[in-house]
Amino acid sequence: MTITLQEVLPTYFEESRRHQSEIWGKQLTFNKGEYIKIVAPSGSGKSSLTHFLYGLRNEYNGKLLYNGQDLHGYSVEDFARYRKDHVSIVFQDLRLFPEQSVRDNLELKRQLNPYHGPEKITEMAERLGIGSKLSVKSRICSYGEQQRVAIIRALLQPFDFLLLDEPFSHLDDNNSKKAMELMLEEAAARGAGILFADLERIDFFPWQRLYHL
Amino acid sequence: MALSFQPIKPLLQTGTNAASRWFSYIGLGIGVLLLLCSIQMYINIQQLLGGDSPRKDGHDFISISKTITDETMGQLEKNLFTEADIKDLEGKPFVSGVSPLLANNFRFQLSGGSLVPFVTDFFVESLDDTFIDTVPPTFHWQEGDEVVPIIIASDFLEIYNVFAPSYGLPQISESTATNLGLQLICYYPDGNRATFRGRVVALSDRINSIIVPKTFLNWANQRFATTKELRASRLYVKTKDANSPDFLNYLTEKHYKVNKDKTKFGRVKQVLQGIFSGLGIFGLLVVILALMLFSFYLQLMIARSKDNLQLLLMLGYSPNWLSTNVARRFIPVYILVVLFAVAATQLMQWAFHHFAMYDREELTTWLHWSVFATAGFLIALSLFTNYRMVKRLLYRMA
Repeated sequence: MTITLQEVLPTYFEESRRHQSEIWGKQLTFNKGEYIKIVAPSGSGKSSLTHFLYGLRNEYNGKLLYNGQDLHGYSVEDFARYRKDHVSIVFQDLRLFPEQSVRDNLELKRQLNPYHGPEKITEMAERLGIGSKLSVKSRICSYGEQQRVAIIRALLQPFDFLLLDEPFSHLDDNNSKKAMELMLEEAAARGAGILFADLERIDFFPWQRLYHL
Repeated sequence: MALSFQPIKPLLQTGTNAASRWFSYIGLGIGVLLLLCSIQMYINIQQLLGGDSPRKDGHDFISISKTITDETMGQLEKNLFTEADIKDLEGKPFVSGVSPLLANNFRFQLSGGSLVPFVTDFFVESLDDTFIDTVPPTFHWQEGDEVVPIIIASDFLEIYNVFAPSYGLPQISESTATNLGLQLICYYPDGNRATFRGRVVALSDRINSIIVPKTFLNWANQRFATTKELRASRLYVKTKDANSPDFLNYLTEKHYKVNKDKTKFGRVKQVLQGIFSGLGIFGLLVVILALMLFSFYLQLMIARSKDNLQLLLMLGYSPNWLSTNVARRFIPVYILVVLFAVAATQLMQWAFHHFAMYDREELTTWLHWSVFATAGFLIALSLFTNYRMVKRLLYRMA
């Protein structure tokens, strides 16, 4: 399982970005099981990259291949399968159902392609310190709590790659470390790769390759 | 474990517009009821007014003539049927056969002989045997035969029996009539005459005339007639349904006159069918309106739930699975609405058959299968249109 970038550049970026970036306009292949760190200042296109990889947007030139297949050629049903079985994501803006409880939010993802049983929801929530929030509507939760819900949600399905878009922006170091540990365990269990995009280096992510966007 | 729609239900915001949903259900129910009732009544009319004329082999036989007006009076060519008229009529899909009623072209008298002593100027006609309801095997004639077989209309016998006593003539029964010996007197143009012995071999309920075998009339017309031209003032038409609107329209258009008794049901049928067709179309329009109202309701629901649906698609829910399940939510209520309409139509049919038609045998208390077929079709149509619309909206979102 690989993700290949072939000279990908957002259509709304200037051509000069190709020369300044180690990712835009370059030929790159990420393999399953690899931990990739992408360091990027604000406005350099972190969210664009993760959204392109997740198939939410397609305003880019060049090609993005999953296992050799061009994402441009994917139908909406192909993307549904891709997101359900192969690629999971923690959005920067969290994207939870505000009126549903934390447990319902998690269950909605878990039932789609159950990698874990429902008891794992409680276990993970306890581990990240939001065990008591499971029956609370997600909009009542703090940003930090919501971010942990989004992280757990991404870990309830099978995946080959985990995409992280500033996953700790609302978390302190201690909670970030706990969450990272959980993600690493889950990725290892699946033999999956992690693409971690953030503003700066984070010491507790054991990256194998580092790129500046 | 199969993917469950249960946790997704609360994400669809049906909101406060429950009233518009109920309006569309009620509208659909009324529309379907109107449509089904119209179809059933249409079928009832067909069954009630299907066969009223004397029939043979499932056909109606009726005679038509041209309407004589003040303008055409005295103009033979306008009042007689031409070959072209006959051909045109034969070519119509609702006509199974046409036979001209040919009359004598010479002076003809009928005499009762010794038993019924009267003589009157009269006419004889001939017609294809297949058009006559009672054709005994003795009904044929060839040159040299002494006796000419005759078929007379039962009505004539009735008329005769009415006036016979006042002329001092004996009234006669049907069985005597069929053994009656008559004299047929044919006149040459110069006034000389030839007499033939006639024998009534049958009475006819269908044909208002005195019928002799075609062979005899052709021969006599050749021999006694002043003109050789054979023209028909009456045609007998064999048709599957004398009350068919197409047939009646054709007759009106051509200004042909027809035995009113045999087609008056047809006129009633035409009017009733028109009314129920109109009602059916109205019902269909109400159904369409209700479906549209419901589709607006669905669109509104999807627009209100847009964020949730988009997030579900983002998480990896299949748009096809989602649209199937959203559309499926309304299956029970649609089936219930249509079943309610079917039940009401059944009640109407029972009441119509029992109270209005006093359980007449031509009708049944039960609905015609086509009503059930239409109900099934309407359920399928409404589910299909919903599914298509939801799918289109969700695919646009994905």
